[in-house]
Amino acid sequence: MSSPEESTTLAKPRSLAADAWYDLRRSPIFWIASIIVVALVGIAAFPGLFTSADPKACSLDFRFAGPGPEAPFGYDVQGCNVYARTMYGARSSIEVGLFATLMAGTIAFALGMAAGFYGRWIDTLLSRSLDVIASIPLLLAAIVLLKRLSATGGSTGVWSVAFTLGVLGWPVAARVVRSSVISAKQQDYVQAARMLGAGNGRIMLRHILPNAMAPAIVVLTIMLGTVIATEATLSFLGIGLQPPAISWGGSINDNSAYVRTAAGPLLWPAGFLAVTVLAFIMLGDAIRDAFDPRMR
Amino acid sequence: MQVRRLTALAILPVVIAGGAAACSGDSDSGDSGNGSAAVLSVGIGEPKHIVPANTGETEGGQVVYAIFAGLLDYDKDGKPYNVIADSITTDDSKIWTIKLKDGFTFHNGEKVTSESFIDAWNWGAYGPNASDVNSYYAQIDGYADLNPEDATQTPASKQLSGLSKVDDLTFKITLSEAFSDFNTELGYTAFFPMPKAAFDSEGNITKEYEEAPIGNGPFKIKGTWNHDTNIETERFEGWKGTKPKIAGLNFRIYQDLKAQYSDTLANNLDINRQVDTSNLINAKNDFGDRYQMSRNSSFQFLAFPVYDETYAKAEVRKAISMAIDRDQMVKTVFADTQESARSFISPILPGYRDDTCGEACQYDPAAAKTLYQSVGGPATIQITYNADGGHKEWIEATCNQLQANLGITCQAQPETKFADMLTKVKDKTPGVGMFRLGWIMDYPSMYDYLQPLYHTNGSSNYYGYSNPEFDRLIAEGAAAKTSDEAIKLWQQAEDVLASDLPVIPLRYGQNPFVTSENVKKADINLFTWVDPYTVEAA
Repeated sequence: MSSPEESTTLAKPRSLAADAWYDLRRSPIFWIASIIVVALVGIAAFPGLFTSADPKACSLDFRFAGPGPEAPFGYDVQGCNVYARTMYGARSSIEVGLFATLMAGTIAFALGMAAGFYGRWIDTLLSRSLDVIASIPLLLAAIVLLKRLSATGGSTGVWSVAFTLGVLGWPVAARVVRSSVISAKQQDYVQAARMLGAGNGRIMLRHILPNAMAPAIVVLTIMLGTVIATEATLSFLGIGLQPPAISWGGSINDNSAYVRTAAGPLLWPAGFLAVTVLAFIMLGDAIRDAFDPRMR
Repeated sequence: MQVRRLTALAILPVVIAGGAAACSGDSDSGDSGNGSAAVLSVGIGEPKHIVPANTGETEGGQVVYAIFAGLLDYDKDGKPYNVIADSITTDDSKIWTIKLKDGFTFHNGEKVTSESFIDAWNWGAYGPNASDVNSYYAQIDGYADLNPEDATQTPASKQLSGLSKVDDLTFKITLSEAFSDFNTELGYTAFFPMPKAAFDSEGNITKEYEEAPIGNGPFKIKGTWNHDTNIETERFEGWKGTKPKIAGLNFRIYQDLKAQYSDTLANNLDINRQVDTSNLINAKNDFGDRYQMSRNSSFQFLAFPVYDETYAKAEVRKAISMAIDRDQMVKTVFADTQESARSFISPILPGYRDDTCGEACQYDPAAAKTLYQSVGGPATIQITYNADGGHKEWIEATCNQLQANLGITCQAQPETKFADMLTKVKDKTPGVGMFRLGWIMDYPSMYDYLQPLYHTNGSSNYYGYSNPEFDRLIAEGAAAKTSDEAIKLWQQAEDVLASDLPVIPLRYGQNPFVTSENVKKADINLFTWVDPYTVEAA
């Protein structure tokens, strides 16, 4: 707890973000999660740096073969290098996670801001449609949408899965944006800006957005973790990413039937998936703790 | 270590005790006959149809085979014996006289007469009905009148002129051309009878009948077909043939063979007619004696859309065939439950020869690659398969072999249901690429492996293959006076296939099947169907 005297001595009062950063730097969970996330993003961006093996070179000669220098995790049911596939699988998971979250975030900010700022019928309209979308079970809707996309000829690649999860995933973040916009709107500085003649656009972008951003980012970070898990679920069910795309969910599906013969090909991608989801959720949690004044 | 050894020893007496209990249990139930009141469940995929004159696939066929009965049936070695038929006679292989046994009735009490057969066949042969087995009637005289060349035209007739009723229990079949093996065909489900109740006033099969067919077989349908759920049947007490030993069969519909296996292991399903590939390794351990193998007539192959320019060159198809290592696939993926195929007909048939496919079916990756590159094979190929049949693993393995051996990109493309895939292929949807098909004979004759699959007008010629030479040999064989003569000509036809390669042979199947603890005896026949007459409950 900082005393009032202390804060007055500072040249410039710390913003919410600066405060949070100050807290975060001292949080071990934040550092652990960040390191994992950075490592995973590194793997996703340059999987070739982590393995020289070709994940698509599979041969029945190596079916369920044990670990070797080329394949530290062994080989799976098709004789594919499990380590290489796990590395390349990170890419689709992270890509889907990032794109879906970016898309959900964009929609959430646009609609949440409009609803919170303009209020009245716009708010009613947007909030109700948000409720409608939020009431559809995510997995069910994703299955229907993806089926539809693949039936109309579009292949179910990273883009369609990300699109589907993004379109369905924005309501929670939008709600958060809306409520923080409503609270920010009534702040004195907003009133001041308005009196000085600032237009709606300027007020929204320069004054409200920066203050409404933090809580939504927290929600979106946590959502990133769940999106990755959902992508794996969909691929596991055989409607997400299809071969030849390499994904953890797909690998889990391919090898789940053989868990009694060889557990490795199932456990490695499953383990990576679990760690990735956990890292994003932990990161989101740490950021939330830092931003939430009540947690201090 | 100590603990482990102890555990291993402790298990042994339990197993022995269990075995003893099972033995005494067997003799008990044999005496009490308690099993005959039991209903057993059989796993199937969602059928396309379950009326005889419209059923051309195995899943619907299993249901039809239980609720209907035909003129004849086949024993374990594929030899026909009479069921409804009293006699089937001919002098010239062209006009066949069929006498029926008296006393057989449909489940609604209607007598099985000559008309039951004639009406059913007329419906199936009538072009606009678009029956899945339409072509099976093509040998009967008058077929052309029911199937005009221009499919938009209304056919001149609704009745096959080759079918004529003599009296209630006798009818004559006149073929347009002599066919020496015609009698062996008559046990196929397409030649089963249907009652008057099946048809409305216009002669169409009614919707109600489609959903709840009234048959003449050992079992009758209970309620209606619950799509994607189950089809329940109960023993038909009025059945005059071999009495079944159980009270009913419940055909439970699955989209996934793996689920059938797990359900059977948990005793929720009684018969899993085919163990899915991923469980072949475990089956022996999981089921012990309840894991069995039986002969079947199945033949797995990869088909090419020969109408598609990409695969139009026979050399491209040959190179792909040579790049597939069949033996390795059989050994690893199928745990030796199937055999590599290097001919186009099943080894259980008279007329089968080894290695008719020749060089094209010998694994030679280096030669395959050279050939593929010299004829400019496509850089990307796709293999479409149905996800409801347990094919994913071997299709992907095939793709991997092609990728490695030909240096191309290969994509395995699943279709949710077999019916969906066939529809796509039938419509010549672009981008389907190669596709897998399996063939299970309808009747034990070489003709059944050649005509439907490769003849220009073949019912299951989904790839658009057409070779006049092949068609001629097939027709000549069919017209031959004796079986031996026919086989010689059909073997020549098979050689034509071997040089054209519209499809590439991969494997011959057996039925690895498992049963739950509720089953005492179950046989899977050559058609991959549970024999409804011999299945017994524990």
